Amino acid sequence: METIQPILKRGRDVWDRINMPEAEFRERAQRIQEKIRKENLDVMLVYGAGLNEYGNSCYLSNFVTKMPQGALVILPKEGEVTFIFQGGSRELKTVQTTTWIEDTRPAMDLPQACVKFLKEKGLVPSRVGIAGIREWMPVREYQVLMDGIAPCEVIDMDHVLREMRMVKSPKECDQMRRASRIVARGFDFISGAAFPDTNERMIEAMIDREMRLEGVEDVRILIGKPREKQWALRPADDLPVSEGDSVIIYLALSFERYWAEGIRTFSFKDSFFEKPDLGTFAGIFEKGLSGMGPGRTVSQFYKGLLGDADKSGLEPILDYGLGHGIGLGPNEFPVIDDKSPIEMKEGMCFVLRLAAKSKKFGAVMTGDTFLLTQNGPEKLTV
Amino acid sequence: MDNKIFKLKKALELLKQKGLDGLVIFSSGAFYFLRPNQLNYFSEWRPLGPRNAAVVSKSGKVALLIEPPWDLNRASQKSWIKDTRGTRNFSKDLTSILREFDISGSVGVAGTGEMTLDVYQAIGEAARVVPADDILEEVAREKTQREVEIARKTGRIADAGFNAFLEYARPGIREYELVGEMEFAMRSAGATDNFTLISSGRHNYSMHPASDKRLAPGDIVIGEISPVFEGQVVQICRTVVLGEPDPLLAEKYEMLVHALKEAIKQIRPHVPASSMSIAMNKVISDAGYAKYCYPPYMRARGHGFSLGSISPGATIDDETKPDFEKDQVVVVHPNQYLPETGYLACGESVLVTESGTERLSETKTILYSKGV
Repeated sequence: METIQPILKRGRDVWDRINMPEAEFRERAQRIQEKIRKENLDVMLVYGAGLNEYGNSCYLSNFVTKMPQGALVILPKEGEVTFIFQGGSRELKTVQTTTWIEDTRPAMDLPQACVKFLKEKGLVPSRVGIAGIREWMPVREYQVLMDGIAPCEVIDMDHVLREMRMVKSPKECDQMRRASRIVARGFDFISGAAFPDTNERMIEAMIDREMRLEGVEDVRILIGKPREKQWALRPADDLPVSEGDSVIIYLALSFERYWAEGIRTFSFKDSFFEKPDLGTFAGIFEKGLSGMGPGRTVSQFYKGLLGDADKSGLEPILDYGLGHGIGLGPNEFPVIDDKSPIEMKEGMCFVLRLAAKSKKFGAVMTGDTFLLTQNGPEKLTV
Repeated sequence: MDNKIFKLKKALELLKQKGLDGLVIFSSGAFYFLRPNQLNYFSEWRPLGPRNAAVVSKSGKVALLIEPPWDLNRASQKSWIKDTRGTRNFSKDLTSILREFDISGSVGVAGTGEMTLDVYQAIGEAARVVPADDILEEVAREKTQREVEIARKTGRIADAGFNAFLEYARPGIREYELVGEMEFAMRSAGATDNFTLISSGRHNYSMHPASDKRLAPGDIVIGEISPVFEGQVVQICRTVVLGEPDPLLAEKYEMLVHALKEAIKQIRPHVPASSMSIAMNKVISDAGYAKYCYPPYMRARGHGFSLGSISPGATIDDETKPDFEKDQVVVVHPNQYLPETGYLACGESVLVTESGTERLSETKTILYSKGV
């Protein structure tokens, strides 16, 4: 889900080497280097940027970009990798505490630094694989980079990172569980705390505080009041939350780099957010999950869930989609739609969400983070 | 003049001067405090999707293209731009608007620093792209009273953040918990976002996002506290010692406060921004730390903060050419690494007035200590 991006990813920034050991990163780098050799490339540039799209570079370095800046991992076909982050030399000591890559370099001008590095290593000209660069690098930087390596043959390798990141390793699954549990605790807090005489911003501040004290890196909150005439999910505003309001709360967060999200519908009564009985809606969502399993395609699952909804007379709201992959980014592949041929595999993590019109509440919405196991989806946000 | 009419009128004047058929003001949804957030400034709406743009034609037509489309209602309510359009195919719909508005010759593009190749190429297919970040920066140079009041309120929110910093900084609390409490205080005071850096220890090297380090007796805790309100950022930099401060530390911090005061004295309209940095560096150099005033130890001595412009720049140092202008918001920070004390945080944001400066925060810049 799209949310307002913060000015800085400012929560707890640590590298827990037990949760995510160096060997995990080395193994990822080795797998990519095997691809580099197989594709007859000389080097690969893996780029990540900003507060939502840092996944590619983080997957290899564990470094998360905390501002709208870029980071680049350079993998030769053999040997040690190099990491360049956009920033000043003063930041190097701090960055080194969160990455395993010994050759870590700061650069205010990332593309120039990359060009200089490749030239020093005799890699201009060469066959260069790129991932994340066309999609996420700002155009001015992209042009500097491409001009600088103009004699090189540039080959798009986005799919390599995409495929690797879609299927989580056991260590990654554990990180997803940790992040998801905090989402669940966030909803426990919302339904357990009193919010007397308050407005949306204050509610957001209280939820944000609880999540930060849990040690998250980033928190995103959206609110929807489906009884409003033209309601939509939106950032909190200076508006009251009043007795009897139906309120949908979207909560996403990242913990030690990994994202999880959940959505709940509440009724606001006596200063508390009560969880109402959503009746058949909840049942349809649960039933729809049975269509999710290894071997099925994403589009089969999509059509199955909406088919069930249609048969039961539900009026789904599809503005927010049914979900997508999640992991090192809040919005990952695959997107759950009616066209995706991607086959679901054990180890994939998904956000699934469903919204529908409701006479009683205006609209209802639910969503959770799931891990696909051999036996079907395991709800992580519990 | 009404804020929105002023912005549009001035933008149209500048389009005419530059011979442009129109202007695209793009945002990737990122909010970077060292770069003008031009779409946010122009439209008075903060986008959340990865591709959003306002399109202005030289005849005065304006449209706002919004991704994801479900955010359309919020944009319609927040922005003064009446023609708001949701999109699921941004590049295609953007070029359609360019054609609809007869923008086919040269189009100014603001926000190329955050624009990706696909969008840039799509605009280029409709018209000749001319980088035009300077147009909105020029419009934003003239501040409205409302913008000045927003800066003042943001300064008071920064004080709320510092008061929480002082209250919660104690042995045993972790850095991220301290930042969580500071942020809660600032959000409760009205902040919509916060840029908070911190460090703690006997000898700090720089400030960074919070780690899980527990504060300990004797720690020097430094913080850069920068709340955001209505798109405006104000920054204060503070140092708190957990315990009785070492006399040497107190002496060095006093020197930095002196440097801060001397630097602020230089600030008034029509004076080069470099004078602020030169005055600051002179005090610190005279104390024997000349080499620590420059890279790799230090770089910027301050910078601008504003809604649509960061003039006089993202870095104010001894070489910064532009003059200060009335109503600019400027942070002045002799944040300094000293070999005896480590990195110390000391800084204020000021509003440039006719005759000098107005402090935007009320809490004092002194070396704070807490009994442990």
